[in-house]
Amino acid sequence: MIDIAEVSLWYDRAHKALDRVSETIRRGQTVVICGPSGSGKSSLLRCINGLEAFQEGTIRVDGVSVRDPRTDIHRLRAEIGMVFQHFELYPHMTVMQNITLAPMRVRKKARAEAEQKAMALLERVGIPEKAARYPEELSGGQKQRVAIARALAMEPKIMLFDEPTSALDPEMIKEVLDVMTGLAQEGMTMVVVTHEMGFARTVADRIVFMSEGRVVETGTGRDFFERPQHERTRQFLDRILL
Amino acid sequence: MDTGVIIRNFGFMMGGLGLTLQLAAITIVGGLILGILLALARLSSRFWLYWPATAYIHFFRGLPLILVIFWLYFLFPVITGKPVNAYVAAIVSFVVFEAAYFAEIVRAGIQSIPRGQTMAARASGLSARDTAMYVILPQALRNMVPALVTQAVVIFQDTSLGYVIGLREFLRRVNLVDAREARSVELYLFAGLVYFAICSAGSLASQRLEKGRQRMHPA
Ligand SMILES: Nc1ncnc2c1ncn2[C@@H]1O[C@H](COP(=O)(O)OP(=O)(O)O)[C@@H](O)[C@H]1O
Ligand SMILES: [Mg+2]
Repeated sequence: MIDIAEVSLWYDRAHKALDRVSETIRRGQTVVICGPSGSGKSSLLRCINGLEAFQEGTIRVDGVSVRDPRTDIHRLRAEIGMVFQHFELYPHMTVMQNITLAPMRVRKKARAEAEQKAMALLERVGIPEKAARYPEELSGGQKQRVAIARALAMEPKIMLFDEPTSALDPEMIKEVLDVMTGLAQEGMTMVVVTHEMGFARTVADRIVFMSEGRVVETGTGRDFFERPQHERTRQFLDRILL
Repeated sequence: MDTGVIIRNFGFMMGGLGLTLQLAAITIVGGLILGILLALARLSSRFWLYWPATAYIHFFRGLPLILVIFWLYFLFPVITGKPVNAYVAAIVSFVVFEAAYFAEIVRAGIQSIPRGQTMAARASGLSARDTAMYVILPQALRNMVPALVTQAVVIFQDTSLGYVIGLREFLRRVNLVDAREARSVELYLFAGLVYFAICSAGSLASQRLEKGRQRMHPA
């Protein structure tokens, strides 16, 4: 479903953010990406939906090449939901408007239909009563659940999560992870950058460890935690599992 | 001091204030629209949008407004062979000139919005145009209101330059009355008071808005 082949990305000539990264993510899989800060995890996610113009390699989503100039990138992005560490809800819009904007502007849905879908999604993430509120009136966990609902409103085939719980107070992490776990169980294809190793262990089909722009190691949950192959992975796990 | 001269000519002079306010209003609306387009072009990654917009902004910010008015009013007819109406010349000069200043205010406003907002909008499939229209500009304009009000006050003062090509705006009418009555001290003090009162009201409004904004978005 997502085919990443030999992707390299430079932000400037001196600095290589991604170094020949290859990964294949199949339909319905949940892949967790972890690694130290600055290792290129966010950059890789942004390459998948074409927000970052990588210079080398190819990424195909459902067979469609992301960097091909003939690809309708807006249509491709509409199929890929993205959730951010700092939520990135639109502060000048209500929760409802946040969720319905893209379905109405990109999918050209009628308002009534978009709002009905939005309410159903708010039910699903457990906060239907917040529809008319503004983001600043919500807690962090609620904001992130709205952000997930906003991404799901486009009925995406793939969901990308970039450290969705890193900015949350500990007591709010679970409510967000629960929603994500539910999605994974329903068969959503997900790429999740996270350091929540409990989530990685129980939900991920595969774990990818990155360091300095490279994929150092990849394995199933069990292998990854019990038999890490590389010294760097071991050091990272020791630090994170303390 | 003879305040009688002001009372006798009050209606005539204040009639010019109507034109002054009209010039200012058209300049503010036209300049802001052109300024937004220039700012968006300047922030574009396409060089054929970026370079002309940047050159335009630097060019007009490097000139005194009076020179732009002179060019349009005296030089343009020489090239085209047709005279330019003073009102049209003033409006066009003001809009074209002030747009460069609005563009920089708008650019700063847009750049004050975190990059993540653009990222989230683009990630959802929104076009660049929709991202600007629905996500970035509404937030940016809200942040810019105090700076825009300040610029509006400056424009209100700048319209007095319409005088040099014979527009009978407020200051020109005061000047005409003075030519007839020879009461410079009283008349120009009065003109100063009128400008000062209107500009102070504008500045005060700007400060109010700034405080209101900080209450809404602390930090
Ligand atoms: N927009 C950008 N411009 C320049 N450099 C960037 C940009 N985004 C990320 N980088 C650099 O690329 C590297 C990888 O960053 P990132 O993908 O954010 O890593 P991670 O998400 O793993 O912390 C870092 O060295 C970072 O400084
Ligand atoms: Mg990151």
